[in-house]
Amino acid sequence: MTDPAVDVQNLTKVFSAGLKRDYVVAVDNLSFSVRPGEVYGLIGPNGSGKSTTMKVVLGLMAANEGTVKVFGRDSGDIRARNEIGFLPENPYFYRHLSGTETLQFYGKLCGMRGRELKERIAELLALVDLEQAAKRRLAGYSKGMLQRIGLAQSLIQRPQLVVLDEPTAGVDPVGSREIRDLIMKLRDEGITVFLCSHLLEQVQEVCDRVGIIFRGRMRREGNLDDLISIEHQTALTLENASPAVIAEIEEVVARHEDVGIVGKGHPRTTLERLFIDLAGRERQKGDES
Amino acid sequence: MTDPDTASPSPPPRHLAHPVFSASRVATIAAGTVTQLIRMKTFYFLLAFALLVVAVGNFNIPATPAKELSMIKKVAFGTMDLFAWLFAIVSTALLIPRDEEDRTLYTILSKPVRRIEYLVGKLCGVLVILAISLLAMFAICAVMISMRESAFISAELSSMLSQERYSEDEIRQQIGLIQAQGMRPELAVAVLASFLKAAVVAVVTIFLSTFASSSLFTIIVSILIFLIGHAHSMATNFWLAETENNILVRMGAKVIRILIPDYQLFAFSEGIVLGEPVVWGLVVQMALITAGYLLVFLLLSLLVFVDKEF
Repeated sequence: MTDPAVDVQNLTKVFSAGLKRDYVVAVDNLSFSVRPGEVYGLIGPNGSGKSTTMKVVLGLMAANEGTVKVFGRDSGDIRARNEIGFLPENPYFYRHLSGTETLQFYGKLCGMRGRELKERIAELLALVDLEQAAKRRLAGYSKGMLQRIGLAQSLIQRPQLVVLDEPTAGVDPVGSREIRDLIMKLRDEGITVFLCSHLLEQVQEVCDRVGIIFRGRMRREGNLDDLISIEHQTALTLENASPAVIAEIEEVVARHEDVGIVGKGHPRTTLERLFIDLAGRERQKGDES
Repeated sequence: MTDPDTASPSPPPRHLAHPVFSASRVATIAAGTVTQLIRMKTFYFLLAFALLVVAVGNFNIPATPAKELSMIKKVAFGTMDLFAWLFAIVSTALLIPRDEEDRTLYTILSKPVRRIEYLVGKLCGVLVILAISLLAMFAICAVMISMRESAFISAELSSMLSQERYSEDEIRQQIGLIQAQGMRPELAVAVLASFLKAAVVAVVTIFLSTFASSSLFTIIVSILIFLIGHAHSMATNFWLAETENNILVRMGAKVIRILIPDYQLFAFSEGIVLGEPVVWGLVVQMALITAGYLLVFLLLSLLVFVDKEF
């Protein structure tokens, strides 16, 4: 049987704070697992324990109780990190390095050298669409560009698991969309993605399964479709339906005692989609002129 | 959104062997540190040093040429030593807290990098920069001292020859006196002493920055330790020798003696600058003491850093 990409069992993490030695339970007996090849989202409000859980998975923190395994290896085992790529929230990296130098630095840390590294860097710069800015220093990158170079560095050693902490935080809607597209691409390539976010709409768009964490405890977990679908309701979207057709449907519904129409109206696009469409059209116009 | 059951399966994870210590990762981190310090324009201080040395070199001190040259050398090498340790503190103190603040540390440590490799890499980077800086400062001093030396020799020669009352031996002796205080290869040992001292300062600063909350705190405490380290042998001797001191004072003095490096040990370079012969046994001993300090403080840093949670 294949090991789960991430297996968290009864994880508890306690922090002591202040001179009075007050204790804060950041994560309380948390259990979940991420299957290989899926996009798993851990969602919850700020301070709910998402980042702490992520840091334990990355080996940056040790658990007080419980076990955390990455592809069957203890998360504290350095060998587990061969399989992990990590993008922290709002990363800065070394601002004095260019995009290419940043990827070279992280590649070398992973033991990559020469032609293999050079080719991988070119491949990743193309993937995150930063070929034009490859020689620019990171000090001149926008937030979205930093996030994309961050994603590229997380993928440098071809990890099987990518851990993303608030991957779209502070990025404009277009940049945010690009990052989500990249996550979907990774999923298509069979890479497991474990992300933490409080931007629920975005999580809904990319995740296969989600866990909802609150005050360090898992409140709900499961397949996203199962979690958000309202079992006893059915949505029907019609195209070019005349008032007569609608009246006919209403008549049919009225014939059944237990059935009722809950809502009626025009489906709406999201403000985000509207913004992206407009920005795309303007960019196209600019390119043409 | 896609059904996880239909997701492409991940290729099986690689189970790579992982060396206990990788010199190549240390070299990568050290090279990154060197680039970082160079691009932070830290070498601008060399310009300040060059201006200072040129200014000192042009002082006219009312003394014999040999004495004047000796004074210039003393001030130039003293300034070089000051710049080296100050640079070691400031540049080292910035490294780890900044990596932590920018979360660069997270991305580095989430790669297969051991914490000892990170610390050794940072230290090696600082040592390389220190070596380059000291060599550059030595070159500046060498040029200035050589120029002053030849100016003094020409002036002395023409003055003695014009007076026509000095024998060849007397002239040679006078020139020899000036040359003894001029640029000699032994002065490189004084530069080595400054490097060894700055290396100890750097490793102490790395140790402090593993638990300090800010660069400013690290810089202040490092400077304090440096100052105590210059006086502590005298102070501890006094406290330890005084039998009237209570046990707490004596224990405190012993703790300071163990924990704080004795920077006064490196003062042997002052004699070399003044023209005393090099005692090679002492140089080797100092190199070994420095290696000991580096090892002890690296281990102490690792003890703090290995379990540090980010």
